[in-house]
Amino acid sequence: MTYTIASSKVGVIGEPFIPADGINVAALLEGGFIVEQSTPKPKKPAKTSTDTNEEI
Amino acid sequence: MATSTYLSNPTVTINSVDVTDQCSSANLTRVIEALESTSFGKTARVYVGGLENSTLTLTMYNSFSASETYSTLSALVGTSTTITIKPTSAATSATNPISTLTGCYLETLPIVNAALGALDTIDIVLTGGVYSVATS
Repeated sequence: MTYTIASSKVGVIGEPFIPADGINVAALLEGGFIVEQSTPKPKKPAKTSTDTNEEI
Repeated sequence: MATSTYLSNPTVTINSVDVTDQCSSANLTRVIEALESTSFGKTARVYVGGLENSTLTLTMYNSFSASETYSTLSALVGTSTTITIKPTSAATSATNPISTLTGCYLETLPIVNAALGALDTIDIVLTGGVYSVATS
């Protein structure tokens, strides 16, 4: 899980937030200081049809 | 001998949130509990160091606006967090060391401390945690 800064009280807005040791991330999320950023899922490869029948 | 003085104007963060503009007083005291080890035959009490139990006391202006005092502290009551404090806002250095309490506990949070014609201020105490200091 990654986090993004949403308040200038924590750092530069929009920058990723890497919690230091002992930081209560849940409290920061509840206070709106950071937002959770879901990791994008890898795209599925495009479906390609392969013709396996060989013409005689 | 020369004496150096500085204008008290510390920088304070609680749980990574800069609360400097909401604080009017900060008092960080490092405490290592004294355990008495006086034995028979001694003529004075003697002690050894026990567990560390440092304390940070802050006086803060109360505010319920977004990203202010209440939203910083409300979810921290009954939990542990990390605080930092350094003497001035200048870069961290040997003459401006940053002190950190990692894992200090917030037991109580005054919600309203109101008086007619006065600003609402609260005193909070963060206790325990591991003290460290950095100069760079």
